[in-house]
Amino acid sequence: MRSSLGLVIAAALAGMCSGGAVSLAAGPDRPDVDALLQHLDDLYRSKSSIARIQIDVTGTRSTRSMRLRAWTRGEEEVLVLIEAPPREAGTATLRVGNNLWNYLPKIARTIRVPPAAMLGSWMGTDFTNDDLVKESSLRKDFTARLDRRSDAPPGWWLTLDVKPDVVGRWARIDLLVSDERLPIEERHYDRKGRLARTMHFDDVKVLGGRRLPARIVLVPVDGVGQRTEMRYLDAEFDVPLSDDTFSLSRLERTRQ
Amino acid sequence: MNWTGSTMRMAWRNLWRNPRRTALALAAIGLSVTLVLAYTSILRAYGQWIVETITGPMLGHVQVHAPLWRKDRLMERTLRDVDATLAELRRDPDVASATARVYAPALAAREEEGFAVVVMGIASGAESGPARLVTDVVEPLREREALIGRQLAELMNVRMGDEVAVVGQGVDGSLANDLFTVKGVVTTSVDLVNRQGILIELSDAQALFAMPDEAHEIVIHARRPEMASALSRRLAGASGFADAEVLDWQTLAPEMVTLVRITDLAGLLVLLLVFIAAAAGVANTMVMATFERTREFGMLLALGTHPSRLVRLVIAESIALGVVGALTGSLIGIVLVVITHRTGIDYSWLAGGGPSELSFAGLRFSLRFYPALSAVDVARAIGAVCLTSLLAATWPALRASRLQPVQALRGT
Repeated sequence: MRSSLGLVIAAALAGMCSGGAVSLAAGPDRPDVDALLQHLDDLYRSKSSIARIQIDVTGTRSTRSMRLRAWTRGEEEVLVLIEAPPREAGTATLRVGNNLWNYLPKIARTIRVPPAAMLGSWMGTDFTNDDLVKESSLRKDFTARLDRRSDAPPGWWLTLDVKPDVVGRWARIDLLVSDERLPIEERHYDRKGRLARTMHFDDVKVLGGRRLPARIVLVPVDGVGQRTEMRYLDAEFDVPLSDDTFSLSRLERTRQ
Repeated sequence: MNWTGSTMRMAWRNLWRNPRRTALALAAIGLSVTLVLAYTSILRAYGQWIVETITGPMLGHVQVHAPLWRKDRLMERTLRDVDATLAELRRDPDVASATARVYAPALAAREEEGFAVVVMGIASGAESGPARLVTDVVEPLREREALIGRQLAELMNVRMGDEVAVVGQGVDGSLANDLFTVKGVVTTSVDLVNRQGILIELSDAQALFAMPDEAHEIVIHARRPEMASALSRRLAGASGFADAEVLDWQTLAPEMVTLVRITDLAGLLVLLLVFIAAAAGVANTMVMATFERTREFGMLLALGTHPSRLVRLVIAESIALGVVGALTGSLIGIVLVVITHRTGIDYSWLAGGGPSELSFAGLRFSLRFYPALSAVDVARAIGAVCLTSLLAATWPALRASRLQPVQALRGT
């Protein structure tokens, strides 16, 4: 499950804020926050997407690599399939709305992830199951505002504050967006206001016809030397995907 | 001092000059000693019961972990070379048993619905039996067999013989998943196990979670519970545990230690009160006995009896009273404890029904326990009564020795 998470995460990041649509001027003019977030939301996902992703997890005692394929449609549907290593190939995660299922080829079982396990690691990465599911609700759960100008790298810091009455893991998320309207850095603060993890976006290149950061690195603050690096190998956007793609029966058909 | 046989004989005869008063005093002393012994036996049972409930199934007397494991319980914080460590521990003369455990958060499912569980890898043979983790299943687990906590089983709708999928993460981050056959639904004294536990054999867990010869916890039972702290200190200094955290159960469960201490303190208070009552009884008897014999003492002094002999006489009477009372009381107390020790006392029945166990600090305490006494308890009670008798007799004895024969004979 590890790697597909990253994709979803990126989408989640992007999806945090809601928005109208006004053009965002490049340069130090104050950007329209709503439009900017809308843009970010769309960045890795568009109406639909198919991507191949490499994930490298550096843990305290070992390093693992996985290659995944991920399909998304809209904000609510995600399918992630592990293609390598062979030991885990065929393992898949399906998200539809707030539901998350894992398919495990070794024991030929599909298991729905219960709410109690949402904060657990997704496939041994530093991403959680929750990261896969939360993407669409982030926009509902947070209020965004433009915080300050960043000079190096040039861009804007946005601050997302959790709305009152929302139960969740993050109290605040700081987001640095370049003048090119691409994410550079994201900082997640927990309910006690402590910085819990950071995400860095770099290696901007053209994938599937759009410029986006191909590499996302997630570093948990309390894990010494621990990190998860996610790299987009290729991506396609706005390809038609059938309803069957995001179904349990598809989930159980390992290897497409 | 000259404690001749004649003094003792006189003392004993004097006591029975007023049989009703002496009998009453004896009854009072005997009853207090019986009560003290009964109460001590219950407190002792209570203390042992608390310690056993804490240390028996879950904690053991000493636990070994990798540093920080207790804080965040991360999978990768393991102890290495577990087999060699266990073998060495089992050679230690102070160690009664040593077993290793694996704790892994996981998802378990009978069908599609997943449930958050804790998979525990245990040496199922060694952890089964009375006052151990698993009390109701005796047969050790074989490969890919599991026991499941009762509340979890009910939640998951799992019965014996069902197959349960377990999905977790190995220490290296790899995907861990396998199917297990449920060999039993267990109720343990540990809430965590009942609500979330899936117990599998240690070797199975090590294979599933990619941690060969590793474990998260080593549980050691000492030959005698009171050796826990010393054993833990000794092991902490041993070379094999240089990188590990070795702690006794008192450190692991300080709130339980407080509970035991409060109980002991309550016991001491009651002991004190009962002995004050006993002392008052003895003192009253002896003061009465000496006052009404003022004339007699005057006569004895006038006949040339040395005052010290009067002191000895009064003290002998008092101690005889105390010893006879204490021995009788002890005898009755011991018989009571022997009877109740065999059957146990069911607190829930005494309280008029209700649950047969109570839950506290994540542990289930059975409400039946077994009064017990040690020789020390009996000796202490008898000794305390003798001491009280001696103290209670001091004033009457001194008063008798200071009598002026002439005035005493006049009865003033």
